[in-house]
Amino acid sequence: MLAKIIAILWKDMLTEFRTREIIVSVFVFALLVMVIFSFAFGTGVDITESIAPGILWVALTFGGVTGLNRIFAVEKENSRLEGLMLCPVDRAVIYWGKLAASFTFMMAVAIVVTPIFLALFNLPLFLPGLALIIVLASLGFAAVGTLFSALAVNTRARDIMLPILFLPVVVPVIIAAVKATAPVLAGRPWADMLIWLQILIAFDIIYVVIATLVFGFVVEE
Amino acid sequence: MENLGYLLAAYAVIWAVVFGYILAMQRKQRRLQRQIDRLQKSADTPETNS
Amino acid sequence: MNGRHNLRDSILLGLGVVLMMAALFMVFVYVPTEKHTGIVQRIFYFHVPVAWVSFLAFFVTFIASIIYLWKREIKWDAVACASAEVGVIFTTLVLITGPIWAKPTWGIWWTWDARLTTSLVLWLIYLAYLLVRRLASEPSQGARYGAVIGIVGFIDVPIVFLTVNLWRTQHPTAIVFEGGLTTPMLLTLLVCIAAFTVLYVLLVVQSARLKSMEADIKYIRSIVQGE
Repeated sequence: MLAKIIAILWKDMLTEFRTREIIVSVFVFALLVMVIFSFAFGTGVDITESIAPGILWVALTFGGVTGLNRIFAVEKENSRLEGLMLCPVDRAVIYWGKLAASFTFMMAVAIVVTPIFLALFNLPLFLPGLALIIVLASLGFAAVGTLFSALAVNTRARDIMLPILFLPVVVPVIIAAVKATAPVLAGRPWADMLIWLQILIAFDIIYVVIATLVFGFVVEE
Repeated sequence: MENLGYLLAAYAVIWAVVFGYILAMQRKQRRLQRQIDRLQKSADTPETNS
Repeated sequence: MNGRHNLRDSILLGLGVVLMMAALFMVFVYVPTEKHTGIVQRIFYFHVPVAWVSFLAFFVTFIASIIYLWKREIKWDAVACASAEVGVIFTTLVLITGPIWAKPTWGIWWTWDARLTTSLVLWLIYLAYLLVRRLASEPSQGARYGAVIGIVGFIDVPIVFLTVNLWRTQHPTAIVFEGGLTTPMLLTLLVCIAAFTVLYVLLVVQSARLKSMEADIKYIRSIVQGE
């Protein structure tokens, strides 16, 4: 079963790597978001300290939602969706494969965007605490995004439908990520962000389980 | 009796919205009834085209 | 079958009217004016029940969605959708009456406290629910997708509430509902909750029936036109 999951993940990554269309545009978009928000909020020192975590997570969130939309849109456009569904695999396995792909995608975006963010705001570049937050939040985004992307792609307003569905549901992830990032950027001890990490972990577990259970209903014929 | 305006506004909104919804349901019911009538008619009159 | 339906409907309607009359009386005549904030505080007696009932509505949608995915009977989908509609309407009322109460009482239209924020997120989630149903490529798909959102969205509610609560307790707000509820206040509140719950049931029953009817008509039409 693990092999099938990896197969789906590998296929997605190969497709993406060959064309690179999604990931590059999402990079650019996320960076643009960061820059625009910096202009919008100004760059005084006190401002950046309080706003910086928010700017990072707005960039990652909007970049993420744009990219996640493509995870299933690509399948739909190439009519590969039906083919995928014909495979005699458990629906949950398909979900996990797509989840892995989404998660990898979000991590890839974060790995590029975050160092640039840290540099722009003159923050230390080596922050394992931040890495942990990004991993947990990306998993939460991917869990919800994969499920809703499969759903949104079959509706009539598919491009705008995913953000509308996705954003309200991941509000806890955004709040927890921002609140956890602030002490990390300020160099405070990990204990300060522990409660937010717990929320992220709980959200991840709950949503991966729920999505696994209901994914079959979304893609059934 | 200060802020009476706010109190009345709040209650007015509640009743306006609730009755608005009831009205919408009434309109829908009328529309559905018309559809039923039409179906009834087409079921009663024998179809003459093949 | 129809006879029993009618009797139940009439009882429900009668009960609703009586409760609502009682509620109005208690809110505007019986309960004394609150000392600190004046008559505007009476909004509380409708604002809170409407909020409670909206949660109830989304819970019903949650359960009905599960049953629909299990049994695939249209009536459960009709209930889920109707309850979500009424839930959105009631949540809209919460979001409107809240600020109307807050402005004269505390001087601000909005605050990011846990309950109000959760209501806002809930509103957005179930607006998305209604949108997806409308924009699905066909009704059965809309029902299926709606059910999924009805389940996934509802699970989010406690998570959002707890997270926002935690977020806000780190920045204590100026909002403090001082003092507990006196007995007349509690009684009034309970009657109002009962009145709005009955109103909710009336609206959902009516709306669900209309939706079932609509689905039946579509089905009959497809058969008639198929010939």
